[in-house]
Amino acid sequence: MSNNTTTDPAVRLEHVTKKIGRKTIIDDLSFEINRGEVFGFLGPNGAGKTTTIRMIVGLMRMTKGNIYIQGHSIRGAFKEAIRQVGAIVENPEMYKFLTGYQNLVHYARMVSGVDKERIDEVVKRVHLENSIHDKVKKYSLGMRQRLGVAQALLHRPAVLILDEPTNGLDPQGIHDLRHYLHQLSREEHVAVVVSSHLLSEMQLMCDRIGILQKGKLVGVETVNTFVNEGGQTVRLTVDDCAFAAKVIKDKLSLEAVLADDDTLEMTLEKEKIPVIIDTLVLSKVKIYAVVAVKKSLEQRFLEVTGGKSVE
Amino acid sequence: MLNKFAGLLQNENMKIYRRGSFKVMIAILIGLVLLVGMILRFNTPQPSTTATTHWKQQLQAQINQDKKQLPSLKADKQVYETFKKNIAINQYRIKHNLKPSSSETLWQFVMAVAGNMITIIGVFTVIVVATSIASEFDSGTIKLLLIRPIYRTEILLSKYVSALLFTVLSLIVLFVASWIVGGICFGFDSASEAHLVYSNGVVHQTSWTLAVWQTYLLDCVSLVMTVTAAGLIAAVFRNGGLAIGLSIFMMMAGPIAVQLLSRFDWVKYILFANTDLTQYTNGVPLRSEMTLGFSIAVLAVYYSVFVLVGWVFFTRRDIKA
Ligand SMILES: Nc1ncnc2c1ncn2[C@@H]1O[C@H](COP(=O)(O)OP(=O)(O)OP(=O)(O)O)[C@@H](O)[C@H]1O
Ligand SMILES: [Mg+2]
Repeated sequence: MSNNTTTDPAVRLEHVTKKIGRKTIIDDLSFEINRGEVFGFLGPNGAGKTTTIRMIVGLMRMTKGNIYIQGHSIRGAFKEAIRQVGAIVENPEMYKFLTGYQNLVHYARMVSGVDKERIDEVVKRVHLENSIHDKVKKYSLGMRQRLGVAQALLHRPAVLILDEPTNGLDPQGIHDLRHYLHQLSREEHVAVVVSSHLLSEMQLMCDRIGILQKGKLVGVETVNTFVNEGGQTVRLTVDDCAFAAKVIKDKLSLEAVLADDDTLEMTLEKEKIPVIIDTLVLSKVKIYAVVAVKKSLEQRFLEVTGGKSVE
Repeated sequence: MLNKFAGLLQNENMKIYRRGSFKVMIAILIGLVLLVGMILRFNTPQPSTTATTHWKQQLQAQINQDKKQLPSLKADKQVYETFKKNIAINQYRIKHNLKPSSSETLWQFVMAVAGNMITIIGVFTVIVVATSIASEFDSGTIKLLLIRPIYRTEILLSKYVSALLFTVLSLIVLFVASWIVGGICFGFDSASEAHLVYSNGVVHQTSWTLAVWQTYLLDCVSLVMTVTAAGLIAAVFRNGGLAIGLSIFMMMAGPIAVQLLSRFDWVKYILFANTDLTQYTNGVPLRSEMTLGFSIAVLAVYYSVFVLVGWVFFTRRDIKA
């Protein structure tokens, strides 16, 4: 879509600050989102996820800093920048007295290059063929969400921003969306930005996540590093738990806790796992299973944000 | 560019005409014209036969009577002018064999309903423009509307222009409906009636259609100012009810307030002292020092301020809805 695709990141925030009155809502955010990745915005209620998205799409002005989309400043070159963006901000509000199709025609008229075929194609993608000619007031929340995704995709944006996209979708819908977002990022090199409260969802959907707290960026990491940082948790199923725990404590000075009648659990660096197995085997402990427990993003999220509740 | 703007207008038109309220408005418009037509039809006496046969003698008698009274009326300039006008028109009728109608005619009906019906069209357009702007904020659709490669100025302009196009459409509906109702109630044969205009001591024969649309145009001065004010209020407060209520209240109360305050000289700077431009063509201005040029200047200043303030608020403020 743009000549700058190879050199510029899809979205770049530079020292973005937003103050309303005296309150600093967003405090000096700087990060980049690349094409071909799914980026997740994570943060408790009121952290400033929606505010950041509003500034990226130009609905709110920033007090300081700048945002570039494919190299175009949203402040200085609004049309060039926004042309590359498809978005849902908070809820997908559409014109209720129009049909789904009329809504799409409405948005198609506002950009160049979206014809009837493209509208039909997008409708098929979000599986709304059967209700696209119904008035939106008859739609369920999930159907409106799908229509919202459809309007965001119409003009083949390089950056797709979805604020809480799984809100209202049924499991099948979530699965389809996840699959589709992956496909968009991998095959069409779209930069996908999502925010969500469903942390397990984020874990499955995102390549990288940025954690916002009180308007500040706490960290940007890939999902894997993020989850695994702070050690790996393993579960060992053995014949004699008490003895095994004693061996581990005496020979390796590590703590193992009883997770079940015949299972021990411990958190440690990855490299220590074979050492423990060797030691136990030498001590004649029978090992039936070693399971690496994938820590959920939620646990990790609570660790990072200081245990504050999310929902 | 122009192509894109046509698309924006199409969008706004779709949003105006697909709302249920549009059909109700048009139905009210036509219904009221019909109602007024019926009431007038059944309260107007039917022409008597003597009036149809001896109209020239009757007109001549009228002229003679008016002429006799004329010298005694010099004190009141307005009454004096009216008498002079009547005499001139009656003489013209006798000379050109143009029989005056003895009852209501199609065209007189079209003209008679214009003023009040345009006030109602004004109310409807206020509702349309306020809804067009404020409902986007109420429903949250403003977010999806403003993240397109289109400046907010263009969006606002498309909303304003489409509201005024709604006025034009309503005027056409009004014209056609009152012409048809006028014809049904008072006879289509009167459609060919001559329209006589008296100016600077001379009588001209002009077209009724032209005269009606001139009246429409003059009545629309107040309408456009009110609609622009409604758009301004909707853009500033993002609240449709407030915009509709406040601007309609202003439209109704403004002219009355101005009459009550007419003894103060500063009243001439108030918007509503200047919206009725017919005060310069057939009547006395609110204050003797006011001229047509003065009123146009005052209107231009108010209009510019309305547009500027509405534009600044619509284009500059953050969207938090
Ligand atoms: N108009 C406003 N005036 C003052 N403060 C505001 C305004 N709008 C939002 N805020 C504040 O900005 C902060 C960020 O809000 P935002 O909606 O961006 O949070 P969020 O991360 O999207 O939360 P959620 O998870 O609930 O969607 C909140 O603390 C909120 O109180
Ligand atoms: Mg939010």
